[in-house]
Amino acid sequence: MTSTLLKRLGVALATIFGASIFTFVLLRKVPGDPARAIAGDTATEETVAALRQSMGLDDNLFVQYGNYMGSLLRGDFGFSYSTGNSVGTLLGQRLPATLELGLLSVIIAIVAAVLAASFAVYSRRRWPDQAVRAASSLAMGSPPFWIALLALMVFSIQLGIFPGPEGRLSPGMLKPPNITGMFTVDSLLAGQWGTFANAAWHLILPAAIVTLGPFAFLSRLYRNQLRGTLRETFVAVSRSHGLRRLPVYNRHVAPHGLLSLLPAASLLFADLLAGSLLVEKVFGWPGIGSMTADAIIQKDFAVVQAVLLLAAVLYVVVSLLADLLMTAADPRTRVGAR
Amino acid sequence: MQSNSLSLPAPRVAGDGGPDAERHDPVLSVRGLRTDFVTAVGTVHAVRDVSFDLRKGQRLAIVGESGSGKSAMAMSLMGLVPPPGHVAGGSVKLNGTEIVGLDDAGISKVRGKDIGLVFQDPMAALDPLKTIGSQFVETIRVHQDVSVKAARKMAADLLGEVGVNDAARRLSDYPHQYSGGMRQRVLIAMAIANDPSVVVADEPTTALDVTTQAQVLDLLAKICDERGNALVLITHNLGIVEELCDSVNVMYAGRFVECTSTEALFASPGHPYSKALLDCVIDPATARRGALPAIPGSPPDLSVDEPGCPFAPRCPIGRDQERCAVERPQPRTLSNGAVVRCHFAYDTQGETA
Repeated sequence: MTSTLLKRLGVALATIFGASIFTFVLLRKVPGDPARAIAGDTATEETVAALRQSMGLDDNLFVQYGNYMGSLLRGDFGFSYSTGNSVGTLLGQRLPATLELGLLSVIIAIVAAVLAASFAVYSRRRWPDQAVRAASSLAMGSPPFWIALLALMVFSIQLGIFPGPEGRLSPGMLKPPNITGMFTVDSLLAGQWGTFANAAWHLILPAAIVTLGPFAFLSRLYRNQLRGTLRETFVAVSRSHGLRRLPVYNRHVAPHGLLSLLPAASLLFADLLAGSLLVEKVFGWPGIGSMTADAIIQKDFAVVQAVLLLAAVLYVVVSLLADLLMTAADPRTRVGAR
Repeated sequence: MQSNSLSLPAPRVAGDGGPDAERHDPVLSVRGLRTDFVTAVGTVHAVRDVSFDLRKGQRLAIVGESGSGKSAMAMSLMGLVPPPGHVAGGSVKLNGTEIVGLDDAGISKVRGKDIGLVFQDPMAALDPLKTIGSQFVETIRVHQDVSVKAARKMAADLLGEVGVNDAARRLSDYPHQYSGGMRQRVLIAMAIANDPSVVVADEPTTALDVTTQAQVLDLLAKICDERGNALVLITHNLGIVEELCDSVNVMYAGRFVECTSTEALFASPGHPYSKALLDCVIDPATARRGALPAIPGSPPDLSVDEPGCPFAPRCPIGRDQERCAVERPQPRTLSNGAVVRCHFAYDTQGETA
């Protein structure tokens, strides 16, 4: 058990290390001069050259990478030229907003996918299955930022049911006390019902849109897994013992589906934590995604690099956790069993 | 499709026999059973007009090649034909109750309680995520109103009865911790847990190691003897039939082509197909090196129902007979009591051909 764990940890660290090299080299090889971007178009060549020197951009890549990793290990994620803040501070400000959106979206996606796929598979009629498949194709095939714009137009501008792209709270609304950084949770903890309602009201539309892709993927995965399990011999065996459809479904079919959902859902979650760039941008959501989109446009290396590395770390950590959970949940892989 | 039913060979009751009423009221009575599989390329008629009776304690073998409709028939008896298949007609009566056409609630009351099924592949027949104990308790409690604790005790006793050592402790084990032979023992124990009057075993040893096959079959026979369940054994292994069963129905292309007693079949097979099957049995004592015996050709396409005898193209007699190609043989009784569907069956004591 310990050796497996150590092996997994080793692989995880190696993956993160590889990702750090990859993002580092990639960002320095894309066209465009960050020093020029910072200094502005009117700056002289001398100013830009001096800036390049002070940013260390003239050193060779190995030295640059060494410096970068050195400061990373000291907890210094670098400095964002475009915003004038340290990247660490930026992440601290932005992460809770993305976490709140991502967490809610993944929960909605899992619950909706499980309910829809269960209904589709369990029903003896064909239309539920066709409807779920059509919905998932539609959700998978439509670009989220476009849906986001459409949703804003319909629900905010035309119908006025949901707020416009004004971020996490209505203008003038005071932030709840900072506990987790997630406004809905914090306002609940502080007993500020008005703030909670306002935060939730702002959260619903973006969450519903971010959830579309994961829902499409998970519902299809779960449906296929259920249908596969239904064909297993052990399902026919429990039917032959006199178990009715629903108990067989609940006890012998659904658990297999949920088990297969675990790794997929966890990776989607890691994905969402890195922020959904365009949806956050459309809704003015002050999360990691919109920050990254701005940083890319500004050629703000330090920010993009930190976000990419964060994404890599999240992927690795979450998939490691999912692996361990899977191992614990499946008796065939559970260690320690006789 | 004809709806005539086969009459049966003279009643033979295993064991000490019961009162007359018991002898004549079959526990399982199948009449004109038809099972179809509707596919994109056409409807496959897997079971075509099958009729037979099974009396208490009787052990009936159903033999035939792969694709002859044996398994589809077994599943039809349980009301468990997998989609796109369905029972297209006929009647299956268990202890006098019609089960064709019952809804989920109705058939679930019958399954496991009046008729139990032992599946072909024990490796895939248990839920890998649940312990043997929880699956067993679940099986018992479907039909018996007992506490989990009591059911666990019953499960342990049954497991002991089928030869699982240290049964009480092994209830907490998962299926992957059991060997194939042990899993089949568990499945047999589960199939008889609610004391069904009929046990259907669909090639119960095909997936097992040769060395454990005999043990599992002996167990099945012992269990049925002790508890008085009737047994329908589906197999293509005639060696098993001779040891275990008192009567045999030979199946070909979805129909019974010969219904007879085991003794009569082995002494003088009536249908040329039965004879061909017997000729394929290899006796290690007398086998010579060289080509293994086989029946030339392959079973017919079950999506078409041509006139004539379906075995005719492969038959040593019917191959050249005009009559076999155009006229479907109707059941007739031979002098030894066997009922065959053949125009030119070997009658008297065998060596006519």
